[in-house]
Amino acid sequence: MLSRFSYVLRETWASFRRNMTLTVAAIVTSAVALLIFGLTSFVQRGFDNLVERWEGGVEVIVNVKPQDPADPNSQARDDARAIIEETLAANPLIESFDYCDVDCSLGDADVLLAADPTTRNLLTADNIPTSYKVVPVDGAGSEQLQSLTEALAPLPNIGDILYAQDYIDVVSKVKGFVGIYTLILSILLLFAAILLIWNTIRTAMFARRREIEVMKLVGATDWFIRVPFMLEGLIQGLVGAVGACGALWLINNRWTAGVETFPENSGLAAMVIDSNFQFSRMIIILLIGGAAGAIGSGIAASRFLDI
Amino acid sequence: MIRLENVTKQYGHDVVAVRDASFDVNKGEFVFLVGPSGSGKSTLLRLLNRQDRPEGGAVYVAGRNIVDMPSGRVPQLRRNIGNVFQDYKLLLNKTVFENIAFAQEVIGKPKHVIRQQVPAVLDLVGLAGKEERFPHQLSGGEQQRVSVARAFVNRPLILLADEPTGNLDPATGEGIMRLLDRINQIGTTVVMATHDQRIVNSMRKRVIQLDRGVIVRDQARGVYE
Repeated sequence: MLSRFSYVLRETWASFRRNMTLTVAAIVTSAVALLIFGLTSFVQRGFDNLVERWEGGVEVIVNVKPQDPADPNSQARDDARAIIEETLAANPLIESFDYCDVDCSLGDADVLLAADPTTRNLLTADNIPTSYKVVPVDGAGSEQLQSLTEALAPLPNIGDILYAQDYIDVVSKVKGFVGIYTLILSILLLFAAILLIWNTIRTAMFARRREIEVMKLVGATDWFIRVPFMLEGLIQGLVGAVGACGALWLINNRWTAGVETFPENSGLAAMVIDSNFQFSRMIIILLIGGAAGAIGSGIAASRFLDI
Repeated sequence: MIRLENVTKQYGHDVVAVRDASFDVNKGEFVFLVGPSGSGKSTLLRLLNRQDRPEGGAVYVAGRNIVDMPSGRVPQLRRNIGNVFQDYKLLLNKTVFENIAFAQEVIGKPKHVIRQQVPAVLDLVGLAGKEERFPHQLSGGEQQRVSVARAFVNRPLILLADEPTGNLDPATGEGIMRLLDRINQIGTTVVMATHDQRIVNSMRKRVIQLDRGVIVRDQARGVYE
């Protein structure tokens, strides 16, 4: 068993050295493909963060002022909420609304102020405004919606009233455009990487056709012959994926550092990728890289065994 | 040990390499397949180690019909068959020792067995002391001896030799024949394809003659006609 294992490793390494140029080409192509895939995923996530508050058809956000610490009268606050909700429910332009309480608002702040931890740390359960996320009826125009301000502004505890402006539409369109084209590009490049790995293995097998012929004639099993080639392809895919993960980590770090220096009102503070999301995407990239290598080499090693 | 029953092998629609061939080879026998180029000698050898499959008939090796043998069992069959070729088929980037050890390594023989058996077989073929040489540092006869050693190192029941003296001068060819005869004396069945008249006549072994794929003569202690 040990001798077989050392044989597989030795043959895989020998094949790498013999096919260095093609191997490097396959690794670089798969790394670039996976990097683009990762960047697409990060950019999509950034856009999602930007518009997260406006998901589900929400076009109006009615902020409610935080409770005054000097006036801990919860009954008065509950009464104010009841009046706001009654007004929203009675308005024919409104289809539905949800109350975003303190926990919900703190969660939104985590996303929106990801690049500005100093400001985020100033927000607490006592001073963060809560809000109502309002979904208007179909066909309600922006001018009609503006009339909500007139209806709600005089009510107690009402803070800012925010409207989903055109930029939400723009962000969504840019997100769709960037997402689709970069995804197509990364799929094409991944396909090219699989073909390159396939070709590398085919070339390696052709270069060793005499050895393969001898192996078959002395009774080596097909799997014994295939495994070093398949391992070679798997390693190419995985090395490409590791390279892509490294580049992705570096790019994301530099982006995060850059965003922190942007002006507060740049609107890009939310486009920061948290480490959990980054880690989960790196795992996916490693899996895709390994799968691409295994598929490319597996097909080649099965198809060209009878040389 | 070997039995062919009405074997026909065709390439494409109109090239019949072997037609309705039937014969038996007993354990420990030495058989020459003779005939001009294109008579079907090499095809018969390819049928015996399942490199090819016939369109009709049955090929029995060690009591098993190998025509319908599942692909997964073919490696096991081939571990009992050694092959020697006219062009040696040595691996040029491996030493003499490594070439022979390779045949054991790929079927999973442990290293300590390889270290023990390779020198023994090198001694048998008269190449002791040349373990570290590469094929290009050997003469044609020595390369063919390495090829024989590689074919014999796993102690096969059958040894198939396809024109093993075809690239060698007569004196060197005789040396190879003495080696094959010695391996046969140990108990290995040898089937050798050749059109070397001098060798066939000097050995006086069983001769099966082919002409355009048809067996035209099967003679014990025969000569080349």
